[in-house]
Amino acid sequence: MNARAVTRNSIRREDDDDVNVKTPAAIIILAVIASPLCLLRAQAPAAESRSVWDGVYTEEQAKRGESLYRRECAACHGDMLTGGESAPPLTGGAFLANWNGLTMGDLFDRIRKTMPQSAPGRLTRQQDADILAFMLSVNKFPAGKTELYRQSEMLKEIRFEAARPAPKK
Amino acid sequence: MREKRPKRLNGTSLLFLAGLLCWPAAVSAQFHPKDTDWPSYAADLAGTRYRPLDQINAGNFNDLEIAWRIKTDNFGDRPEYKLEGTPLMVNGVLYATAGSRRAVIALDPATGELLWIHGEHEGKRGGAAPRQLSGRGLAYWSDGKEERIFYVTPGFRLICLDAKTGVRIPSFGDNGEVDLKLNDDQDILPDLITGEIGIQSAPVVAKDTVIIGAAFREGMTPKSMRNNKGYVRGFDVRTGKRLWIFHTIPKKGEFGYDTWEKGSAEYTGNTGVWTQITVDEQLGLVYLPVESPTSDFYGGHRPGNNLFGESLVCADLKTGERKWHFQLVHHPLWDMDISSAPILADIIVDGKPVKAVAQPTKQGFLYVFDRVTGKPIWPIPERPVEVGNVPGEWYSHTQPIPAKPPAYSRNGVSIDDLIDFTPALRERAKEIASKYHLGPVYTPPTVSKLEGPFGTLTMGTASGGTNWPGGSYDPETHNVYVYACNSCIEPIGLVAAPKEVSDIAYIAGTAGREVEILHGPGENAGADSPKPPKKPAGGGFTRLDVDGLPLIKPPYGTITAINLDKGEFVWQLAHGETPDVVRNSAILKGMNIPRTGQTTYNVGTLVTKTLVIAGEGNVTTTADHPRGAMLRAYDKMTGKEVGAVYMPAPQTGSPMTYMVGGKQYIVVAVSGGPYSGEYIAYTLPSAGE
Repeated sequence: MNARAVTRNSIRREDDDDVNVKTPAAIIILAVIASPLCLLRAQAPAAESRSVWDGVYTEEQAKRGESLYRRECAACHGDMLTGGESAPPLTGGAFLANWNGLTMGDLFDRIRKTMPQSAPGRLTRQQDADILAFMLSVNKFPAGKTELYRQSEMLKEIRFEAARPAPKK
Repeated sequence: MREKRPKRLNGTSLLFLAGLLCWPAAVSAQFHPKDTDWPSYAADLAGTRYRPLDQINAGNFNDLEIAWRIKTDNFGDRPEYKLEGTPLMVNGVLYATAGSRRAVIALDPATGELLWIHGEHEGKRGGAAPRQLSGRGLAYWSDGKEERIFYVTPGFRLICLDAKTGVRIPSFGDNGEVDLKLNDDQDILPDLITGEIGIQSAPVVAKDTVIIGAAFREGMTPKSMRNNKGYVRGFDVRTGKRLWIFHTIPKKGEFGYDTWEKGSAEYTGNTGVWTQITVDEQLGLVYLPVESPTSDFYGGHRPGNNLFGESLVCADLKTGERKWHFQLVHHPLWDMDISSAPILADIIVDGKPVKAVAQPTKQGFLYVFDRVTGKPIWPIPERPVEVGNVPGEWYSHTQPIPAKPPAYSRNGVSIDDLIDFTPALRERAKEIASKYHLGPVYTPPTVSKLEGPFGTLTMGTASGGTNWPGGSYDPETHNVYVYACNSCIEPIGLVAAPKEVSDIAYIAGTAGREVEILHGPGENAGADSPKPPKKPAGGGFTRLDVDGLPLIKPPYGTITAINLDKGEFVWQLAHGETPDVVRNSAILKGMNIPRTGQTTYNVGTLVTKTLVIAGEGNVTTTADHPRGAMLRAYDKMTGKEVGAVYMPAPQTGSPMTYMVGGKQYIVVAVSGGPYSGEYIAYTLPSAGE
């Protein structure tokens, strides 16, 4: 229980950092974190065009995720995410091809339902989202200013595209 | 080493003994299944994956349609995405393990209708198991009247079922089960619930003996040099009584004990047989492919050659006594294990018939021996290999390297193996590779340093090469057909382990990164969320690809036909569609790149009268098919592709075939990524359709 509380606190601290930025975007994000309903409304117009290439996680989040990954995932999926004898790679062509054209919600739910293998669902949604952020960073999808959601239905609005789309006009 | 196990006699067991005494002496009548059935995991006990069927052939493979399919989601409390089973089909019933519960299901082989299901609810013991999920399959036994199904649960209990009903056979063991954590010539530590030992492979039944090996967690960063040992045992198919045990790590006084210096045989563990076991029933010989000892990449706490680690051991089917052995890798440091079933082949070498055994491996060598004497068919001389300088490590200065056949997949890394679609890509790849130590097969791991090398860059090690699906053998052509990953790179770097992490001096890791024990599945199952990191993770994270393209040049994965009479290749092909990442690469646009095959190691093959059949291990999305993978058929004489049929997900269990009601079926397990486990049966359209 203590460990979980500490993790939560560290997330809050990062939110505080964001306040110092004082950009309109950061304010929206804060409001959004405070109220999921608000988030749905705020994000709705952008949702239709968002993909993993649009900066859907933060570097901070990926860092938290890396630490969690190494504790919870690396034994099977490998230190470098290249997979092992009992687990598939989480980077590279085969991984990208597996999820190409699906959504982050599909990938997130797959993790929620089945991982870690010994006790699926043991990690919190926030922890799973952090690990997913780390996976995105290793796969060289760009970081952005907002953290990856932890709600499946919102993650379903982010398309997983293996190839960088042509620049928008 | 036949065993008389001390047993507490109580009322039940007295009745049981009385029953045994009344057992007719002549029930050894063996059941001989038809060659249109698939009665054991690899079709037969010789590990061939061969059936002489030809209704499905080059002319009609493309016409295959789905006869039936069964999702395994509900055979457990959650869906499974790694279905690795190969079903059996005997006497008109198809049997398989399935789902996250590792349930046993019996199906109508023509329609897929569920006839019965059996599941064992193991609670914490199942949750703590080192090898979970549905496993690779089960074993069938019959004396011509009674029919039994044997399988091992994730929690390491051998279960015996009535094949007709799926109900436990009470006269076997303790009400239909044998607790495999007991009576193993060692105490499984720390306790029966969490004690690390299990198995994912299918049991083998030969004559009246069930043979069971053992598996553990992956051994890259173990907490201790001490672990449970993976002995192999034979059990009576009728009673469950232990008949024999083979100590894969010799006990004091036994042959090979002195290959573990400083008494390291006492505490070193693992060294199990986690993959399929092969048996020659006529000769009464069992072939045991033994894995690596504790700590895959550091052996400083087990000085010596470490018999029978990474050895092929031939043992007596009745007693478990060793007849001969050949250690493929002395003092293992590369996690090569022996990862797949030895293949029995009756061949003709220089005009003389030879009963041979051929062993595919992660390191891409096919080792061929006389299976009676253990003598190599072609010389396997000891060759000098690089000696490393990891503090405290003990090195073998030579390794046995087969003169014939040549290696069928890459087993080292050189500059010449790097991507070369364009000179610029090669240069980038050289830059990445320059941070690592490179070399041929048996180049030892290095200590990982920030300034380099990060480690040794290897191929043909932990993944292989050929991993657990193994090869196929065609008794008509005397060819072995074997899939291998030809681009599965493994960086092996070592870092000093802090005392609180492990009592082993060095564990797998990368310099500059936080040293942590890598938790395996089943570890701390009930624990709460992890502690936050003490310090941020450091650098040293190098992607082993170039702009998303594989660091290694094609072919990425191959199937090779190797003639065993001559020890020579007949053909070799790149198996699998070119990956999306290569096909769609902007850098490679306009280049004509022949099919590359795929970077994956878990592809099994099936050989029939005319075809070699194997599915793809990766998903692609092409102009010809939506997201999915293809089940491909090749002419077994030439390797020419003669057909392909769509699967919704990659092949994750090796295909099998059988005839029922005048029709041939091919059943394959598919799963992975977003697609949960499913067995799919293909057959030809009925006449008139």
